[in-house]
Formats: sequence, structure tokens, C-alpha cells
Amino acid sequence: MKSTESTWIRVLSDAEIEKINEQSLQLLETTGIMVDHEEGLKVLEKAGATVDHQARRARIPRELVAQCLKTVPDHFTLAARDPKKDCPLVRGGRPYSRNGGGADFTLDLDTGEFRPMMLADLRDYYKLMDGLDGIDFIAPVFGQDMPVLGRDILMLREAFSGTSKNIHLRCFSGKTLKIMFEMAAIVAGGKEHLKQRPLVSLLEAPVSPLKFLDVMVDALFLCGEYGIPLDVCVMPIAGGTGPVTMAGNVQLLNTEFLGGVVISQLANPGAPLQYAARPMAMDMKTGFSLAGAIELGMMATAGAQMAHFYNVPVSLHGPWTDSMLHDGQSTFERTYMTLMAAYAGANVLVGAGMMQQSLVTSHEQLVIDSEINKTVIRALQGFEVDDGRLAMEAIARVGPGGNFVQDPHTMKYLRGERYKPSPVIYRGSRDGWMEEGGKSFEKRANDIARTILKEHEVMPLPEDAARALDELVANAMKQL
Amino acid sequence: MSNTLEQVQKDLYEGNADAVKAGVEKALAEGMPASEILETGLIGGMDVVGRDFKCGDLYIPEVLLCARAMHAGLDVLKPLLAESHGGTGRAALGKLVIGTVQGDMHDIGKNLVSMMLEGAGFEVTDLGIDTPPAKFVEAVQTLQPKIVGMAAMLTTTMPVMKTIIEALAEAGLRDKVKVIVGGAPVTSAFAKQIGADAFAPDAATAVDVARGLAA
Repeated sequence: MKSTESTWIRVLSDAEIEKINEQSLQLLETTGIMVDHEEGLKVLEKAGATVDHQARRARIPRELVAQCLKTVPDHFTLAARDPKKDCPLVRGGRPYSRNGGGADFTLDLDTGEFRPMMLADLRDYYKLMDGLDGIDFIAPVFGQDMPVLGRDILMLREAFSGTSKNIHLRCFSGKTLKIMFEMAAIVAGGKEHLKQRPLVSLLEAPVSPLKFLDVMVDALFLCGEYGIPLDVCVMPIAGGTGPVTMAGNVQLLNTEFLGGVVISQLANPGAPLQYAARPMAMDMKTGFSLAGAIELGMMATAGAQMAHFYNVPVSLHGPWTDSMLHDGQSTFERTYMTLMAAYAGANVLVGAGMMQQSLVTSHEQLVIDSEINKTVIRALQGFEVDDGRLAMEAIARVGPGGNFVQDPHTMKYLRGERYKPSPVIYRGSRDGWMEEGGKSFEKRANDIARTILKEHEVMPLPEDAARALDELVANAMKQL
Repeated sequence: MSNTLEQVQKDLYEGNADAVKAGVEKALAEGMPASEILETGLIGGMDVVGRDFKCGDLYIPEVLLCARAMHAGLDVLKPLLAESHGGTGRAALGKLVIGTVQGDMHDIGKNLVSMMLEGAGFEVTDLGIDTPPAKFVEAVQTLQPKIVGMAAMLTTTMPVMKTIIEALAEAGLRDKVKVIVGGAPVTSAFAKQIGADAFAPDAATAVDVARGLAA
């Protein structure tokens, strides 16, 4: 596929990008960041930052930022247990998608009832996502019936059996993060192998504005040590934890990203990082953090431009909505979010399955979003404009008033020109639709989810790996 | 309503703290009783703000600005109202303690609710984030608030809300306070399940609910 760079949309001019960068450097020097991590502060101080240990504040000179930006890789691959499912993230390459992680609630597949997510659902979700080809790697969900301490470890154990795609982690402490990396090393065949082919990835976020908690710094350090790609997720809520203006919110998130880069690269130069620009907006009537507002897409596009300026991979929110149903509002919001993110040049599209901000995941939504993702990626591909496809001969041959249906040119290019959507998209007649049961979009998605759950087979986890994991998990849970 | 009080209401709506202060002083100089200035000028003014907020004409930051203007006027009336309002000098909505529960670092929602509650006339003590049950109990013992508000953003920290309610019961304080819970994953069903007195789905509703409980 040719580079997508020529399709990229822009909201910032080159001068504006330069200005935002320059001002981020100023903010890091004057306001600085709060780093709630003793070792983190020491590392920064040793490298030349001005540190106030009392206030836990670090002011970072621009030379340090420049130095650290030099060592961040400009591409990396999210490896998978099944190498066919690797996701190489390169500038101008096709984007890869994942589900939105961490939903606490689900809509029951049979009854549609809104209820807590449980361990049994988790297993279904991993299987479903493993089987959907519009979802390229998997983010965790947690069952409310799982123990609080160690749920991240248990989640990962389930995920390794439940999918052969890259697993994007969520961790609750530096301690459990280390355990999860050890688990990944077992499946990869050793720490070195894991570094070569990271089967897991992680996302962590500073707390806006400008606060780096201990778990964030632990993540920045540990990911570098193990070679695990880390999404530095910067998500100020415009009007709440970030300036209400779109430009200001982008100014802030860009500053936070650079702060993360410095901490990461000082500890492990060359550690793979992704700019996860996740600008949010506070609804000024309810105080809610919105998911479907168009301004999110606009700010995210600016975030992507900054990421491209620094030449690092970028992850943006794709499908997302404030709606709690599989309705028109949801489909409308998530479609423009995904299109904007893809055309902004995102390497990763996040959010499949998410409803009602980040509260709910449903099977139907995953099926629908798989379709949206695939369609959007198709749009990015553009089309070949070669002599054969320009069809000069065929046009001359068919001539005025003829048709192309049986023409050799049509036969030649029949397969491959057009994307074939999954059956969630219906394109037949009204009569045909009635004959097939008159099913709604939502019902068709539900049917597809059931079929996948029934028929899909996950690539099995090798038995020795499974046993070693079980032993490690059992020990870890005992100690927690 | 007198012209002076009409002006106070107008200035309050504009969020002009200086003008509200001056207007209240003027009304006092004109011989108006402090309680009337409070009721008609200030609380009456906030009622208009509340009405326009509900229908979407005013936004949260504007409401907070109006509340600040109101308090500028209230501060002038404080010493005069002290006797009739139990020494707090505030509109008698009372004390409220709020915190994000242990294990949870999320605070923007809680901060928003705190600001709105203060604006409405509560005397709010914010215990901050990651607040253990013992700290809630201590705050109730020391401050004797009417209401305790608990916030959580994670389903993993929601169970701590139950622990806190139990801790209050153990300390013999449960029936001395009303407990309101909130946060993105919190539901009214959950609130009922853990024995909370009320649930609020957003900041503005939290104010209404708290007002109702304080009455």
C-alpha cells in the first residue's frame, strides 16, 4: 500500500506546529512537571533538570528534550503470538485498530440488558475480537467478579489463551506490571525474544495537568527495560483538566507527551513510544467528559500533526460515542471520529466496542466497529491509476451506449477493486430483506457475534507456556 | 423588589463580585434587613442562575462565577446573619464532607461537585483523593457535617464506599449523616445496594439532591 501521507488532513499550519513545540519547551522549562517518583526525580536531576524535591517538581531544559527526541524510534511493531497478526506501525502505513479497554459494563448478548462485565464475558470478548478481522490487537476488559488485587495479571492469563493477537495491557501497579512482563517473556520464549518481538504493549497516562504519578514513571522505566511499546496517553479534558480552548488543550497535551519522552529515554534510550493523543472535552452542562464531540477529532488531528513533527507513531481514538445504544447517534459519532483519525494519519485507531464514553462494551458494537475500521482503512488505500485500470482500450471498445458488464476488462479487474463488507451491511432489495427476516443493523451485528463465538477457533497457547504461566500466576496471586 | 435588589440580582447574574458587594452594602445603608437582602437579592439571584443553567443557557463555569459573586455579597451579610444562622454566617444549608475513596486518584468530577456545592451555600470540606475509611470517619466526628459525599471513577474502588458506610456505622455515626455517592460507573442500584441515602448522576443533580437531604 502506498504511503497515506498525501491523504493526511491538517488543522495546524507549519508555523502553528513550530509554535506549539516551542511553547511546550518553554512550559517544561518554566512550569515544569510534577513527578511523584523519587527515582524519576533523581534521573531527571542527574541529567540536568532543575528539581524541587519538596514540591516534587522538575523543570526540564530544552537541550534535554532535544536529546531525548533523538533516541525515540520512529517505528515499531506490535508483535503477535501468531506472526501473521503483527502490527507494524510506520509513518504513512496503514493504521491498525484495537478495542477500547477497561469497560466495566456490557449489554447482554441475549437480552440486551445493561449489566456488569463478568469473567465469562471477558472470555467471550477475547474470542470475538480474535475472530474479527477489523480488530487488529486487543485491549483488556475486566470482570467485576475478579479479585481486585491481581486482576491485571489474571486478565493477561486469560488473554494469552483467548487470543493470538498482540495484547495491549492496563496495569495497576509497577509490581504487577513486572509480573505481566515476565508472563509475556514466558510466551515469547525469553526476555530477549520479547524485546525483539513484543507480544504485549502498554498504555499509561500522566494526570493532566502535568502530573506524573508513580505508576506512570514505573511504566516509563519498565517498558523501556523490557522493550515493550508504551503509549504515552495524554488526555486533558478541555475546560476541566486542560484549557477550554482546542489550541490550549493541544498545547498542554503536547507538553505532557514531551515530559514522558524525557523520562522514558533518559532511563532507556531507544525505548519505543507512541504519542497517544487523546484530547477530551468537558461538557459544560453536566461536567461529563465527552466522547463523541467533533472537537475531539479536531484536537486529535492536531495531536497527530505534532506526532508527525516529532516523527513518532501516533494513536488516536477511532470509534467512540456518548450514546448508550447501538443507534444512529452512536454510528454517526463513531464514524466521523474514525474517519478523522485515519485521515489524520493515525497508526492506531482505538475504541472498537466502546459505548457511553468508556463505560460499556458490547458484542454488536465490536462487530460494527470492525466494519467501520475496515471500511476506513479501505478508503485510505486509494486506488491504482495505471494504464490497465484507466481502461482506455475498454472505453474505446465498448463505445457510446454500450455496457461493461461482460467486457474482458471487467472480468480482469472484477475481484480486487471493491471491498466486500461483512453481512452487517445489507445492500439487497426490500423484498430480499423481508425474506431474510427483516433484520436491523443491530440484529445482524448480534447474529455475526454469535456465529463467531460459536465457530471461531483461537490459535492454542502451547501447553508448556500455559503451564509455566499458571505456575507464575498462582505464585504471584499468593504474594499479592 | 427594590431597585437596589434588582441591581444586585443583575450584577450577580453577570458574575460581578465587586458590584454585588457594593449593592449589598447600599441595600444595608438603605435600611433593608439582612435576611431580606439574602433571600431576595442573593438567593433569589442564584435561583435565576439555576433556572437558566438547567435550560442550557448558562454553563458550569458561569454558574461558579455567579456563586463567587454571591459569596462576595454574603460575606458582607455574614456578621449580621450570624445569630439567625447558628453562627456559620452562611445560608443555612450546612456542612458537607466530600472525598474520592481509597485507591482512586480521580478528582476533577469531585472538584466540580465541591465547587457547585459551595456555590449553592454548603460549607464544603474536601478530603481529597485516595481517602481511606478512617479519614472519612474522623472528618464526620470532628466536623459533624450533615452530608457525606463519596466519589469513585473505578469499579474496583466502588466497594470501598460500602466499607466507609460500615465504618461510619461502627463508629455510631451512620444515622448522624446522609450519604450521597457518585462517579461515572456508580448507579442508583449500587447506591441502594450499599445502603447509601442517595445517588447523583452529575454535578448539578448532586446539588439538588444535597439540598433535599439537608432540608
